[in-house]
Amino acid sequence: MANVDSRRSQLLRGVLDLCLLAVMGEGPAYGYEMTKRLRARGLSIVGEGSIYPLLGRLERDGLVETRREASNGGPPRKYYSLSPDGERSLEAGVEEWKAARDAIDGALDVVKVEVMP
Amino acid sequence: MIEFVEECRREWRRLGVPDPIANEMAIDLTADIEEAEAEGGSAEDVLGTSLFDPRRFAAAWAGARGVTAPTVPVDPPTPLRPERQPWYRPAAVIALMAFGFLMTLTAAALVAGRHSSAVAARVSRAFEVPGSTRLFAPTPPTPPFRYFVPGPSLAAQSTGPVAFLAFALLLVGVVVLGLAVLYWSPWSRRHSDRRVG
Repeated sequence: MANVDSRRSQLLRGVLDLCLLAVMGEGPAYGYEMTKRLRARGLSIVGEGSIYPLLGRLERDGLVETRREASNGGPPRKYYSLSPDGERSLEAGVEEWKAARDAIDGALDVVKVEVMP
Repeated sequence: MIEFVEECRREWRRLGVPDPIANEMAIDLTADIEEAEAEGGSAEDVLGTSLFDPRRFAAAWAGARGVTAPTVPVDPPTPLRPERQPWYRPAAVIALMAFGFLMTLTAAALVAGRHSSAVAARVSRAFEVPGSTRLFAPTPPTPPFRYFVPGPSLAAQSTGPVAFLAFALLLVGVVVLGLAVLYWSPWSRRHSDRRVG
């Protein structure tokens, strides 16, 4: 079971930046808000570490734009949104992912999985 | 949770993250954690497994943003760019070494053959050793013992100038070789590098 978790963790780590860009595509969001959007789509980051270093890298690479906005009663939050480069990177990344997924499906479809009762 | 954020601040300070950026990250982190807790969650919902290693988390975040102070390389030192020497300098030193070696070799040959009359004669002819002409010139067939005048022998007469010549050549050769070796020595290179640096 630990091996399965490790594989899932590695797979997610490889595409988490893509997932973050995708949820930013819904609209600007701050860090925890993005975590909640991912969770709503069935992706929990509990076992994968934090998204903050990844957001930092996306910001440094110019794939996201940031701005500070006041939140309800709390301190101003840092909102992340897609930059034009980020949009292009997201499109290219989705194409890459689909190609890889199809190839992997082609390799794994020959395996018949028997579900034990 | 305050302890987690404070630990991150200490790490950012240690890494040389500018205070305004460290404050901004700390405020964002605190706000997210407080929101998660207010919704009935925990800090782990925000930080995942990073919750258990604040220093690593802080370093990863600052590193990803590229806001850590640049590290100064201490060891090993960056290699100095070697001085570009004119092409003729090594050639001149090699020629000097060859000259010194030749001088030393000649001196050694002279010293080794100083008792050889053939060598002495050749050297005497070559360098016009005084008296050699008289000694080798045909003399009337007179009884040798009757007119024998005690004096320096052929070898002895030749040895003086030959020895002097050998010594002079040896001295020149050794000095030239010494200068050439000094030029190629590590001490000389270090001295040159210091001038470049």
